[in-house]
Amino acid sequence: MRKYSFLWMLLPAFILYSVFIAYPFFSSLGLSFYDWPGIGPKKFIGLANYKNILSGFMSSEFYNALWHNVVFFIWSLILSVVPGLFFAFLLAANMKGTGWLKVVFFFPNTLAIVVVGFLWGLLLNPQWGLINQLFRVVGLDFLAKPWLGDTKTALPTIIFVTAWRGLGFYILIYLAAILGVDREMIEAARIDGASELQIASRIILPHLYSIIATTSMLKFIWTFNIFDIVYAMEGTQGGPAGSTDVLGTLFYRIAFGGLGASQVGMGLGATVVTLIFLIVLPVSIFYVFIVEKRVEKGE
Amino acid sequence: MAKKLSIVLLLIAMLSPMYAQQKTVSIWGWRAQDVDVWKGVEAALKAKGEQISIRYEVFPPTEYDSKLLVSLQGGVGPDIMYTRRLPGARTQALLDNGYLTAINGLVDLSNFDDVSLSFISTDNKVWGVPFANQIIGIFYNKAIFDKYKLKEPQTWDEMVQIAETLKKNGVTPFFVTGKEAWILAMQNAMVGVSYPGDEWIGKLTVGKAKFTDPEYVNMLKDLNALKKYYQKDFMANTSAEQDVAFAMEQAAMVFYGVWGNTNWLKMNPDLKFDYFPIPPKDKNVPARAYTYMDGAYGLNNTSKNKEAALKVLNYTGTKTYGELFSSTTGEITAIKGVTMPASKPILVKCYEKMTTIAAKNRYWVGSPFDAGTPSVYNILEKDMQSMYLDQMTPEALAKRLQDGISTWYPAFKK
Repeated sequence: MRKYSFLWMLLPAFILYSVFIAYPFFSSLGLSFYDWPGIGPKKFIGLANYKNILSGFMSSEFYNALWHNVVFFIWSLILSVVPGLFFAFLLAANMKGTGWLKVVFFFPNTLAIVVVGFLWGLLLNPQWGLINQLFRVVGLDFLAKPWLGDTKTALPTIIFVTAWRGLGFYILIYLAAILGVDREMIEAARIDGASELQIASRIILPHLYSIIATTSMLKFIWTFNIFDIVYAMEGTQGGPAGSTDVLGTLFYRIAFGGLGASQVGMGLGATVVTLIFLIVLPVSIFYVFIVEKRVEKGE
Repeated sequence: MAKKLSIVLLLIAMLSPMYAQQKTVSIWGWRAQDVDVWKGVEAALKAKGEQISIRYEVFPPTEYDSKLLVSLQGGVGPDIMYTRRLPGARTQALLDNGYLTAINGLVDLSNFDDVSLSFISTDNKVWGVPFANQIIGIFYNKAIFDKYKLKEPQTWDEMVQIAETLKKNGVTPFFVTGKEAWILAMQNAMVGVSYPGDEWIGKLTVGKAKFTDPEYVNMLKDLNALKKYYQKDFMANTSAEQDVAFAMEQAAMVFYGVWGNTNWLKMNPDLKFDYFPIPPKDKNVPARAYTYMDGAYGLNNTSKNKEAALKVLNYTGTKTYGELFSSTTGEITAIKGVTMPASKPILVKCYEKMTTIAAKNRYWVGSPFDAGTPSVYNILEKDMQSMYLDQMTPEALAKRLQDGISTWYPAFKK
């Protein structure tokens, strides 16, 4: 009996996991096979919701949103990893003011996304926003654009704002990894005549590959669940003309209806959620695998 | 000690019936501006000796309907719920599942006209107490119009001429909120009742006209051409920015609803503004105002507190309530015969237009085109942005409307 006493210790976590993760997921999965406006009896329709989303009347909106998630992931990854590594190396050099810079870089991360969306909405106002005013003052009038009102610039702008907010997180993670590299190895390379660039690229960077892989996978998972920043900056429609629509806003519109007059479609919304889960699942499994490998290696 | 204890017990015994009679009526809605209205209702009911407290919960408009539906399904809904209009898929869902009580005979509805009640009725059954009527159209700055000796236009071309005059004089003729898709849908709808017109929409409703008809396509072309008179980069502006621009007299006209007046006057109490309906292209077609019943208070059929809830609903059907509603929110009550506050001349003017030139037919909210998916509203929200961004032609937008509505609207399927 004592052999299985550990099960009692697992019980609280199991209950919490079941109630808040497993049940909602399986409930949502089940709902995706029904036509249900959120009220009244559910009508079983098999795979019809999946057909409507993947090849039916919702397919163009779904693939449009999916593509935006892909673009969002690629660009926000580049805008997070590259500057993140750059500033982490700079901070690791321990120059004057490093501590202050860490606070500055991390500060946007402490702001709620809705606040970030609101602030950037003000900054980007086409008539009196600070960004366009600055461009006009320095003679770069051609850059004073309706950033959030143009289909060409709206999504890149939101990606930039997201990367700006999250940069501090990546800097801190990479900085911790850089500082974790064996100092003796770096000193030995220095004595052997290696330049700082060689040390950075041939000794430190290879040590960061697994942490870069880990953060990239986290970025993938976060990006495919993104909703709040688009909602805060462009509303539920993912405007203008659907140019910033992502799977999160598409789900929201289908399941909750937005301001339009349509009936809400909980079953169809649950289908979008299930598809998001299926996209994110393989990456999540791989992420867990990578993390376990790192733990085994003692990194 | 025993004496003190007996006094306390006596007090408890005296007070407990009062608490026992106290009823709390829960109300759910999407209108944050109504908080003070409900405080006023509670005070008025208490003054009449009714021991009723009101707990009003506000939800974001975009989430309200789904939260209400799911909560009712789970048996935790409010006693009174704000409902939208009929025909309309969301209100219909409440009806189909038996969550609304027909209030004929339970609430005195003699203070409402038939048009207001028609927005929340089916088969002579009334499903809620209408709370506000809205009117949409063009609100203009009187000082700017006076400065350039401009008068309310009688035709579309006169309106374009006014815009031209203003633009030449360095004034932004129109402030338009391209970032908020629903306002563009509303703009399209308010233009439609005058151009191509009320009568044409009547034909559209019975399937004798199509969105692809030249009358409608020409309207879309003219509306698209009007954008040269909008503020620069209008596709990136929100309604909050519009409020600031109009209140601070940075633009002469806005396409909006009467509810905007409260914000404008808060920002600039000296602002002088007025209203005109969208003028028709053809001067032989009458200018019409797009009006609609904004919503109603529905009685939850599963409420365990119906008696108290009905007392609240009966109060919301009185002229006293209508006066309270209009003076508190700055909007037009759905109760007929209520004198609009003289301190708000815009309400007096809009109320007069509402009773004299309201369109009978419409294709946006409160219309039969609002009852299925995709609705005209859904299509216009996205496609008006595309048209203004030159990514969709007026002809293509008209075709998208015709094709989309034809998938479910009976008169288009014939």
